Amino acid sequence: MSDAKTLSPEPLIPLESPSAAPSEVAAWLGAKLRRYGILLFLLGLWELSGRAHWVDQTVVPSLTLTLKAIAQMWQRIDLGSHILISLGRVIFGLLIGLSVGAPMAYVLARAWPKLGQNFESLWRVFGLINPYCLFPIFVIMFGLGETPKIAVLAWVSLWPIFFGAETAFRNVNPQLLKTALSMNCRSWAIFWRITLPASLPAIFTGARIGVEMSFFILIAAEMTGATAGLGWIIHNAGAAYQTERIYGAGVCVVILGVGINRFLELIRQNFLAWGEGDGIPWLLSSRASKQPTNRLVLWLCCLIFALVMALGFWKIFQGENLILSSPNP
Amino acid sequence: MIFAFIRKYAAIIGFLGLWEGLSRLRVIDPLFFPPFTQVVAEIVHLLRIGVLGPQIKASLQRAIPGFLLATLMGVPLGLLLGSWFKTLTNYLELPLEIFSQLNPFLLFHIIILFMGIGEAPKVTIVAWTCLWPIVFSSMSGAAQVNPSLLKSGRAFGLSRLGLLRKITWPAASPVVFAGIRLSLGYSLFMLIAAEMMGASSGLGFMVQRTQETFQLDRLYAAVTVIAFLGLILDASLQLLGRAFLYTKLENYVNTPGD
Repeated sequence: MSDAKTLSPEPLIPLESPSAAPSEVAAWLGAKLRRYGILLFLLGLWELSGRAHWVDQTVVPSLTLTLKAIAQMWQRIDLGSHILISLGRVIFGLLIGLSVGAPMAYVLARAWPKLGQNFESLWRVFGLINPYCLFPIFVIMFGLGETPKIAVLAWVSLWPIFFGAETAFRNVNPQLLKTALSMNCRSWAIFWRITLPASLPAIFTGARIGVEMSFFILIAAEMTGATAGLGWIIHNAGAAYQTERIYGAGVCVVILGVGINRFLELIRQNFLAWGEGDGIPWLLSSRASKQPTNRLVLWLCCLIFALVMALGFWKIFQGENLILSSPNP
Repeated sequence: MIFAFIRKYAAIIGFLGLWEGLSRLRVIDPLFFPPFTQVVAEIVHLLRIGVLGPQIKASLQRAIPGFLLATLMGVPLGLLLGSWFKTLTNYLELPLEIFSQLNPFLLFHIIILFMGIGEAPKVTIVAWTCLWPIVFSSMSGAAQVNPSLLKSGRAFGLSRLGLLRKITWPAASPVVFAGIRLSLGYSLFMLIAAEMMGASSGLGFMVQRTQETFQLDRLYAAVTVIAFLGLILDASLQLLGRAFLYTKLENYVNTPGD
């Protein structure tokens, strides 16, 4: 700890300097304004357009009405559990995708590389199959309920993970492998110390793309066949012309999407820092700063994530039991 | 050559053979999983009686304009944001991220309120979905151009427009193209979902209808056609890209970590 203190940049900033504090505040404010200015402006415009009656409030409810709708939904129809259920489905699908995709990629890229090459074309075709039209087929296979939805989400996240992992497993630096072999490492040591760390960033990148696409498809899947979740709320509100509820649920979806994106970026920067960026140009925050995060914040984020995951699974399980036990679903 | 072809597609042929065999031998219920040949026969039959053709046409008439609209708007927007207006990009980063997270299906009900029911909302959904990968990849492609190339361009007295046309565009085009290819995949993906939710024609509608009326042959036929269509569109886009874009430059223009 004492080492950390001497290394910390605190002493470098003269505390008594009179001009330092205001300019720092100004710089901080400027940075925040640069980041959030346009967003705040757009939110203000949204609010104003409702207040000044530029647009019909029944078509575009103002920001305050939308927030009120969120509060109302939270109280009346238990918005919290719907959010948890939606998140739980995405995470469940992602976990299946990871636990199938990554080992499959390892087997096909490392254990039997020749066989893997033969299967390449089949996986390409599978990856291009539209997950949404698989939904009816999954219903035939698994019956109604949560399973087909989770299967669709697992399918969506499986392929980016698999392709990323396969490429990474194939392209592990042979120099490192040779070094390890010449040092007489056992095969499991090579796996744990070299192959896996070298491939984890790519697997993670695949998982991020998978989550992104899962979110899109989840809302659609919940809109057509579900009795819970954010997509269901939107569908229901749309059918009943409760526009402010559509907007409210929409705001929740956007916040969740941005939040998950940020969380994954945080994880990548802190736990997989040896990867060279995730190279997904269409996820903007992959260009975020390289500042180390506060450990406490990091672990708190992870804890919240685990909690949300557990609660989501529990809610899904509960809902499934409810459907199965009710005489007339 | 034939041998190489067979080797390359052996897994696909094997998968289809497995499907056919299991279904014919009644290991899996042929009522729920009709054998592949039967599905192909159904596709041929549907094509012959003129049911499938109009649906494919309807779907393509929504997907292609939406995709083209997104490309025509997204590529210039992304390139300009990534090259000329870098400061503006810093300001716009968060709003753009939020817009890209705005799920097209959230917008579905709202777009219908503005545009009515018909072709316009579906094309808009496709365009919205396709727009963001294209914008972001063009942006990052333009931002990642090797600075020494830009400097030498400037040293040779190229104007801003000349820099954009002669250096930024060729150097960024592989990344732009990757975004466009991803978008094309998204376009079908979203269109089918939109058609399943609310349409009276198109392949997605066909999936939905055949599912409701339990015509599983036709369901599998529609799904197979959609998969095939996706493959064809992807392959033709790749061909186009190889013919027209500067993909060969990629190796020495955009060296990472330069």
